Amino acid sequence: MTQKLDYKKLRLKGGLEIHQQLDTSRKLFCNCSTGMKEKTPIFTTQRKLHPVQSELGLTDAAAQFEYLRDRVFHYQAFSNETCLVELDEEPIHPLNSEALQIALQIALLLNCEIPNEIHIMRKNLIDGSAISGFQRTAIVGLNGHISYKGHRILITQVTLEEDAAAIVAEENGRVTYRLNRLGVPLVEIDTGILEGYSPQELQEIAYHIGIMARSTGKTKHGIGSIRQDVNISIRNGPRTEVKGVQELGLLSKIVEFEVQRQMKEKPKEETRAANLDGTTRFLRPLPGANRMYPETDIVPIIITKEHVENLKKNLPEPWTNKLERFKTKLRLPDGLAREILGSEYLNLFEKIVSTKKVEPTVVASTFTSIIKDLVRREKVEIDRISEHRLVEIFDYLQDKKIVKESVPEIVKYLATYPQNGVGDALKELDLNPLTIADVREIAKEIVSQPNMAFEKAYGIVMSKVRGKIDAQEVMKIVKSVMK
Amino acid sequence: MYSQEIESLLKSKKIKIGDKVLVTKGKLEHAGIIMPRIEMGDISSFVIKLSNGYNIGIKHDRDTNIRRLETAWRLSQKKNPDVKKLVFDKALPSISIIGTGGTIASKIDYRSGGVYASFSAEDIANQIPQLKTVANIKAEQIMEIMSEDMSPEIWIEIAHKVAKEIESGFDGIVITHGTDTLHYTAAALSFMLRDLPVPVALVGAQRSSDRGSGDAVLNVFCAANFAANSSIAEVCTVMHAGMDDNFCYAIRGTKSRKLHTSRRDAFQPVNDTPLARIDSEGGIEILNTNYRLRGDKKVKVDDKLETKVALIKIYPGMDPSIIDYYIEKGYKGLVIEATGLGHIPTLNEKYSLLPKFEKAMHLGIPVVITSQCIHGRVHPTIYHNLRKLFTRGVIFAEDMLSEVAYIKLMFALAKFKDMHQIKEFMLTNIAGEITERTLSKDFVVK
Repeated sequence: MTQKLDYKKLRLKGGLEIHQQLDTSRKLFCNCSTGMKEKTPIFTTQRKLHPVQSELGLTDAAAQFEYLRDRVFHYQAFSNETCLVELDEEPIHPLNSEALQIALQIALLLNCEIPNEIHIMRKNLIDGSAISGFQRTAIVGLNGHISYKGHRILITQVTLEEDAAAIVAEENGRVTYRLNRLGVPLVEIDTGILEGYSPQELQEIAYHIGIMARSTGKTKHGIGSIRQDVNISIRNGPRTEVKGVQELGLLSKIVEFEVQRQMKEKPKEETRAANLDGTTRFLRPLPGANRMYPETDIVPIIITKEHVENLKKNLPEPWTNKLERFKTKLRLPDGLAREILGSEYLNLFEKIVSTKKVEPTVVASTFTSIIKDLVRREKVEIDRISEHRLVEIFDYLQDKKIVKESVPEIVKYLATYPQNGVGDALKELDLNPLTIADVREIAKEIVSQPNMAFEKAYGIVMSKVRGKIDAQEVMKIVKSVMK
Repeated sequence: MYSQEIESLLKSKKIKIGDKVLVTKGKLEHAGIIMPRIEMGDISSFVIKLSNGYNIGIKHDRDTNIRRLETAWRLSQKKNPDVKKLVFDKALPSISIIGTGGTIASKIDYRSGGVYASFSAEDIANQIPQLKTVANIKAEQIMEIMSEDMSPEIWIEIAHKVAKEIESGFDGIVITHGTDTLHYTAAALSFMLRDLPVPVALVGAQRSSDRGSGDAVLNVFCAANFAANSSIAEVCTVMHAGMDDNFCYAIRGTKSRKLHTSRRDAFQPVNDTPLARIDSEGGIEILNTNYRLRGDKKVKVDDKLETKVALIKIYPGMDPSIIDYYIEKGYKGLVIEATGLGHIPTLNEKYSLLPKFEKAMHLGIPVVITSQCIHGRVHPTIYHNLRKLFTRGVIFAEDMLSEVAYIKLMFALAKFKDMHQIKEFMLTNIAGEITERTLSKDFVVK
């Protein structure tokens, strides 16, 4: 357990950097797939990195530091997810316009000002995660804001950048990276300095910013698709940057641990990496502005007023609004509302609740906990089920031809027999609903047996009627029969 | 360059590139450094570098105002002195690094946004700290010529410089050069530098030196090591052997060719085995024992070139009257990059090149046949239509690269007038450009 601290008194300052991968079909600067599905590298290439000068003629301290470590970098290449661009063997192609549109949408959703001209920069990264020695990044929005609990949270900038390669292994100066993540479009959203918030509130703000990005419906899901960096200082002391927080739920814990560390040790300006347990480790000194210089292989992109106006007119509903709507209009509990927002079935969920008379919590939990459980525990191949089959389940629920308890069995059946429909499932699994009278008969027989307490009787009845009638109903019936 | 309007606005406000400024637009404010404007994009937008290092473009319009805050930096005009000797260890061999320009010595050009040649050769040497383990160096930039702007006159200038450096006692020479025509210069120097006593390495870079991943570091290190410490007294290209940053090949100057637009291992041997492998740790391994050993002869520069030579590619549908143009313009020799084993269109009158070649040879203009296949050897007598030409004196240039035949023909024409002598010279191996045997291992498709 972490001790309770008065963060206001400690003058905790936090700064958030939210990184969200975009779900485009192609990478930011080449036509490779952004799937990141391939597991087996087709070959590995080895490279060295050297210190370089920035545009202003200053060599960055962070870059020098990395260089002194004298490491050899190995890069794994994949057949559909790497070409000569990721291998740093071909100049980049023009910027992916689909990614630019999504990034501009995100910037506008965050109430940003859009620069008249977007300049792609090279940010020196000589930890090897960018094979070229730099990550390409460009400001697409400035001076935005969102509101959180009535406070105005400043969004200092939104950048569109290429994701870096993911590290695979590091031992004895030999570092291995996978090139398939390199070049996947990534949007980074930076907040101003957040003062007067608790670690839990910082986490909430990160969540709200994250769902704003996801409002576009064009963002990637799953582990690593959204990553948070957090800058932390206390009592106006030096700032540390903790990189790569992959689980949002860990963010508040990381801030708490880092505050405790800063209270104990004498903090230095540095970059730290997040460990899975919420603690952090030293990575390198903080990088400065000197590591930026212009990307000269492609030209600046002009964004016209008309372009911005047009994007503004067609902005999607911000998910912060959607979250409120789910909670108030659809009466989803907060946790479930967040879960369905984060689900890849969000669109289907919205379609179903707007067209069918089924309790929204039932639809939402089907697409979240039920499906997740089946996939995790029973290895059900959910992707085999077509969308219209999933919709069919809710037709049956709406018409009371099935009860919600039968849904897991039906989903399992449909995944096993993708050609068949819900009707087939009912027949084969014997899931036609029972009437109250049917269940009464069964209950009477059970209850009449000797030594039959309520708990036991209910259990036995349930085992006989599971999936054919609502469990609440069974409880009522058993109770009334026992009276 | 900014638009006229912005330029005069900056002038009137005494704002110079590199000043910290405040740009206001309506309610919005941006403080940052005003940067040089690249020509592409919107030249009526200010390029402002924000404090975090990012650049953005802010359109200049009626709502925009700009105000000078302070001087932040100035575009450096300072150049390092051109010549400098660095003696790391008296026991090490000494080499001369001659800079000619190209991507290997490059910086960002803020006007065009492109990369241009600007580092002095000395800067390169300073960029590669490992150099001090293999050689003492002298670095001198003698010109700033992009590869595509090279010419026979410049080859001659470089050859004389190399000879001068060898005469003054250097143990090897490194020439930094743009990559596009590096193999042309390599071939030209191979023919020009006679009785060469030391190694001469031509080296370039496929990535610009301003990036951390640049290939120049390994290439120049290997070239310097090759020049200083190998026993191979030949003109070679020294560049990445593969995509890994672990070793380079030294390839004979007459057998090296750029075979890829962008890969770092673009230079590969054609119809030859690389002479040596030079690794990142400093090792040199001989791969092909057919080479000229170091010696103590005095190098001579054969700089007589007849430059009225054309290199012409054959293609289906080619208009034969193109040849008339060269004849009328007074060309003294033609290298024909023919198809396959050395074929040209002969079937119908409209496309047949036979009459044109007969006409050229009748006028004393030698016709040399190479292949656009790049790899392999041409053959004079398989195709019966060409047998006649062969007997009339068309020169089938064995396994010589087209570019090499083009340069060699310049030498031949400067030496001889007689067609038979020209033919004999063209078919005699002078600088490793013709091999006797075509080896199976020498055709490697990656």
